[in-house]
Amino acid sequence: MAVEPCAENQSVGREERIELFRLVLLQRLFEERVTALYRQGRVPGSVYTGRGQEAVAAGAGLALGPDDVVAPLNRELACHFARGVEPADVFRNFFGKATGPTAGRDGNMHFGYPGDGIFPLVSMLGDLVPVVTGAALAFKRRRQPRVAMTFLGEGAFSVGDTHEGLNLAAVWKVPVVFVIQSNRYSYSTPVARQMVNTNISQRVFGGWSIHSERVDGTDAISVLATVRAAVERARDGGGPQAVEALSVRMHGHAAHDDARYVPAGMREEFAERFDPPARLAARLALDGLSAGEIDAVREDVSDEIAAGLAEAERAPAPDPATVEHGVYAAPPRSSVG
Amino acid sequence: MTSTGHLSAAEAPAETVVGEITYLEAIRVALRDALAEDDRVFLLGEDIGVFGGAFGATAGLLEEFGEERVIDTPISEEGFVGAAIGAAWMGEHPVVELQFADFITCAFDPIVTVAAKTHWRSGQAIPITIRCPSGGGVRGGPFHAGSPEGWFVGTAGLKIVCPATVADAYGLLRSAIEDPDPVLYFEHKRLYRTLRAEAPDDSLRTPIGPAAVVREGNDATVVTYGSGVGTALAAVELAGGDVEVLDLRTIWPLDEAAVLASVEKTSRVLVLQEAARSTGAAGVVLSLLARRAFEHLDAPPALHAAPDTPVPFAPELEDAYLPSVETTAAALEALLAY
Repeated sequence: MAVEPCAENQSVGREERIELFRLVLLQRLFEERVTALYRQGRVPGSVYTGRGQEAVAAGAGLALGPDDVVAPLNRELACHFARGVEPADVFRNFFGKATGPTAGRDGNMHFGYPGDGIFPLVSMLGDLVPVVTGAALAFKRRRQPRVAMTFLGEGAFSVGDTHEGLNLAAVWKVPVVFVIQSNRYSYSTPVARQMVNTNISQRVFGGWSIHSERVDGTDAISVLATVRAAVERARDGGGPQAVEALSVRMHGHAAHDDARYVPAGMREEFAERFDPPARLAARLALDGLSAGEIDAVREDVSDEIAAGLAEAERAPAPDPATVEHGVYAAPPRSSVG
Repeated sequence: MTSTGHLSAAEAPAETVVGEITYLEAIRVALRDALAEDDRVFLLGEDIGVFGGAFGATAGLLEEFGEERVIDTPISEEGFVGAAIGAAWMGEHPVVELQFADFITCAFDPIVTVAAKTHWRSGQAIPITIRCPSGGGVRGGPFHAGSPEGWFVGTAGLKIVCPATVADAYGLLRSAIEDPDPVLYFEHKRLYRTLRAEAPDDSLRTPIGPAAVVREGNDATVVTYGSGVGTALAAVELAGGDVEVLDLRTIWPLDEAAVLASVEKTSRVLVLQEAARSTGAAGVVLSLLARRAFEHLDAPPALHAAPDTPVPFAPELEDAYLPSVETTAAALEALLAY
């Protein structure tokens, strides 16, 4: 079966399509590079990727306005890139460098730039649903035309925080967008073993009256158009919005996981038709981009990753003498001395 | 979770005596002053608006500041603590009321996972205050009379304060709300209407961190906090002796220097807390004494605290469970006689 080009959508222009392609490739090639480094023993801890889900991260990331805020998770590297994070920043976090976004205090995809509107991921599923709801509550009380967003997957729908956060968002009618990554598995557990009604979009609407749509999560152009419409509805006072993006997680949960529990051939068959970068490349070819122009994007992305890696490798390691630093914004003092 | 009812009936707040207010009124005045002075401050919690709070701590604030500043929430501790964190990320200074401190179990995850670690991981301050009505002596039983502060003692990134006086009820709450870090504020329910003192000036800020010597002495030190301070002062009167009483005020991080300075002077120490004996601040204080004060001690450090059980309901059982003035005086006499 041949790859299916992204669906035509007039609301996403040529420049944006090329930017989506760049972001999707940046996530794909970065993750391939960092996984190779991990296998060489050059990355401590673990590596999580969003292979197969890059279109969701890129499309949702680009859908946000400059003053909006977002809490991306493990599978949304392209969202970080869409918000201005650079490959060198991410490599520094994977390596645990002193000049990385967490200064070596946390690793891999566990980082953010909260001062620039990107909340750092926490591992406990669902925790960030109330957090972005609270950010949106601040926007509403300040009458600011800003939107908060987070991502969550099927796994988060078994966690109480998610349900409490969705309910608060709906009751408070705040400008927040929930992008749901339905990738069929939570670690090794298929979605059918986690919920009876696997149509999460339907549940979100039925349960909380939150406007919700489903989109093909492998088609970056459709994701951008759908999430952007949701973001603008939220910004215009429409209250919380949800978009459920359907995809397949094409790696294990993390680099150590060979995903033996996935039926043989499922991912290969899926990749043949629905691989996100290939779908974008096919659409760009239909749009009239030459093979040379498409390759040039790929080369630029490769160069950017190589330069980021070289920069991160030169960065200093954290000083062990700082191990107790940074816990408090205002460290408490004593009454004595 | 919400109250089962028997403790939730808010009495109309007592008429304020001119110049004198209760511990509960000090909390309400601190909230009102913070709301009036700083538009980043808003309140979130169950039944805090229309009803004025299960104990009346927020009575009248909805009427004065409106429903965007005083928000009645669904029964979602985990959700609204998480939301407070998100608002704090955007620069607000939200104040959450947990209806009873016991319900903090429902919000453990956002407090410990998100609020406590965010500054350390990212440099982002999370200025939230979580008010926790705690403590026994009100016949609340195992879900409405606990002193769960110990679960958070030792958690990097959190600050835990426990006012023991009317002035500190005001001054610590104002400091907590202004502080850039997450602060758990444990207010003792038994003190709400039993403590009364001169109304503090609105400029009063009790600093977060320092302990306070509330009674000077040379023969022994009682290290305590919250409800233990009043108990200790009464026990010293009963037992006699030249005893120092140190009110920790902030139980985490611990003012180690203040504990050590007092014990180096007195050479005998009783650690007193209402929380169960194997939890929380007492263990941290005793560990400090073992490591750093061993050579100054003339007697083994003593501990007087509630037993390692949930808080019982029946008056006979709860009275036996809580450290009283009499049992504390007996512990003090034994320490002085060693």
